[in-house]
Amino acid sequence: MSNQSGRITTPYEGRAAVWDDGAEIPAPLRLHETTAPPEWMDYNNHMSESCFLLAFGDSADAFFRFIGIDEAYRAAGHSLYTSQTHLHHRQEVSLGEPLVMTLQVLDHDRRRLHIYHEMRHGETDALIAMAEQLLAHVDIGAGRSSDMPEDLYEHIVAIRRAHAGLPQPAVVGHPIAIRHSR
Amino acid sequence: MPEQAPFTAYREPVRPEWLDYNGHLNDASYAIVLTRAHELLLDHLGLSAAYRESHQASMFTVEMHLRYVAEVSAGQTLTASTTVVEADHKRLRLHSELFADGVLAATGECLYLHVDTVAGRTAPLPEDRQAAVDALREAHAELPRPDHLGLGVGARP
Repeated sequence: MSNQSGRITTPYEGRAAVWDDGAEIPAPLRLHETTAPPEWMDYNNHMSESCFLLAFGDSADAFFRFIGIDEAYRAAGHSLYTSQTHLHHRQEVSLGEPLVMTLQVLDHDRRRLHIYHEMRHGETDALIAMAEQLLAHVDIGAGRSSDMPEDLYEHIVAIRRAHAGLPQPAVVGHPIAIRHSR
Repeated sequence: MPEQAPFTAYREPVRPEWLDYNGHLNDASYAIVLTRAHELLLDHLGLSAAYRESHQASMFTVEMHLRYVAEVSAGQTLTASTTVVEADHKRLRLHSELFADGVLAATGECLYLHVDTVAGRTAPLPEDRQAAVDALREAHAELPRPDHLGLGVGARP
């Protein structure tokens, strides 16, 4: 979200990445929850569309730190960039509503990650929004994708293994279209 | 008055509050830019915020698909080129190319549903709005469609 610094920040900025080899990996991951703040509301007092992406972005940032990507990792020259995001809106969000985010690793190779987010209501568990994202590991200086280092890659493999039993979400892989009834 | 094909009303400088720690346009800010560009098109159709007030109905975004192409920095000017891809009596599908200083920065596609905000469900567009949507859709019928249209995340043209 935007703060006094006049730019977009995330709640996890500056927090060093910590990976615990022995820890059980939740399926899906639950790394971020928040409460819809006043600055996310539109003229109609519902959460603005782009703020859904801020909330999913904060969950993604928590995920990056979970797997090992923090400021030090980026300063050393590599990062994960978003190449695509497909958002699905199911319900509106009002001021102060509790939001819980989950994250599932759908697929990956050595330089790409396909992930799926859900946003649910913290009390009713109602599905509010989903986001499917494709991320690329990049060499920032060269400006192109590059293989993940071995330790980062192993963390992704471990999460994917832990998530292998989760069902494939219904919206994954579907393009936007007006589906005509016949 | 002839319709703009594609629709190119949007133009504004990058705002500092849209940037991240790197001084680049944040992922979510591309959605802000896309939404602002599309809002001008909805306004052209008589379907923007004022319509919500006067008709207790509004265009609700059900899906948005962004493809990030290039980084955008402070000081650049954003423009958009928007095509009405499909539309019917209650649905509108828009595709935009977003440019920073004339260079393609992202593409974005949105699906909107016309919703009766009192009843809380979809409703047909009123006749005059339907005519406006149809006129712009017809003006855009022959515009080229990008190769990625109709592809899900991760699929390649």
